[in-house]
Amino acid sequence: MAEPSGSVRSFDDEALPHLDALYRVALRLTADPTQAEDLVQDTMLKAYRSWKQYRPGTNAKGWLLTILRNTFINDYRRRKHEPVAMDLEAVEPHALYRSIEDTDPEGTFFAQIVDAKVLGAIDALAPEFREVLALSDIEGMSYGEIAETLKIPVGTVKSRLFRARRQLQGVLYAHAVEMGYIKPRETAP
Amino acid sequence: MSRLDCEQALDHLQDYLKRELTPELVVEVRVHLERCRDCAGHARFVENFLVMLETKARRETCPKEVRARILAALRAEAREG
Repeated sequence: MAEPSGSVRSFDDEALPHLDALYRVALRLTADPTQAEDLVQDTMLKAYRSWKQYRPGTNAKGWLLTILRNTFINDYRRRKHEPVAMDLEAVEPHALYRSIEDTDPEGTFFAQIVDAKVLGAIDALAPEFREVLALSDIEGMSYGEIAETLKIPVGTVKSRLFRARRQLQGVLYAHAVEMGYIKPRETAP
Repeated sequence: MSRLDCEQALDHLQDYLKRELTPELVVEVRVHLERCRDCAGHARFVENFLVMLETKARRETCPKEVRARILAALRAEAREG
């Protein structure tokens, strides 16, 4: 086992750079800043204590996120009342693009939406949706890495992502219409 | 080589943009997008959405005081060994 100072140094070099990613994912999982802070701190302490189990040079971010997620499931999930998840399953998969292709085909209205609104919309997704969305589309993990971290099949990762993105697009589109960033498509008389 | 129709191409679109398709499917989707303006437009829309999502969400970082608190907890842990 490495002497303490060496182990502290490698922890600092390999684990600490992922603090922002851990904090973001913690926020998405808990949807509560205070809990997210505690969750990240608990995660980092657990990671530090079991640092000798980490193989240097392997996927530190994945290793840390696995600890974060297990800690969340074991210690946090029961604490909070989940927000009511939206269900837009009835929406046809590619319907959104059809409704904007004439007015804003490139979807530039997305850029006008403030960051906080986007984050709020992610947090209103069902927990299993916002989790895969955070790991894939925000933190850049591959489907394979996510499947391994969450212990679910790659096909499940893909289908959850597909539905999560579709729901998110729908909610952000509705917000953009409400704010006047985009005109709703005129319905035929 | 089999050719994708629009519905199949759109079904693969997100995985294509996330670089999660097999090399064979990547070629098939790319060929379809080069030939189909409608699907190419759809692809630009989805790509813009994914870029927007990542850009906006990643601007959120761990606040300084939270980082300091966590570092202090780690240092205390290291001292106690």
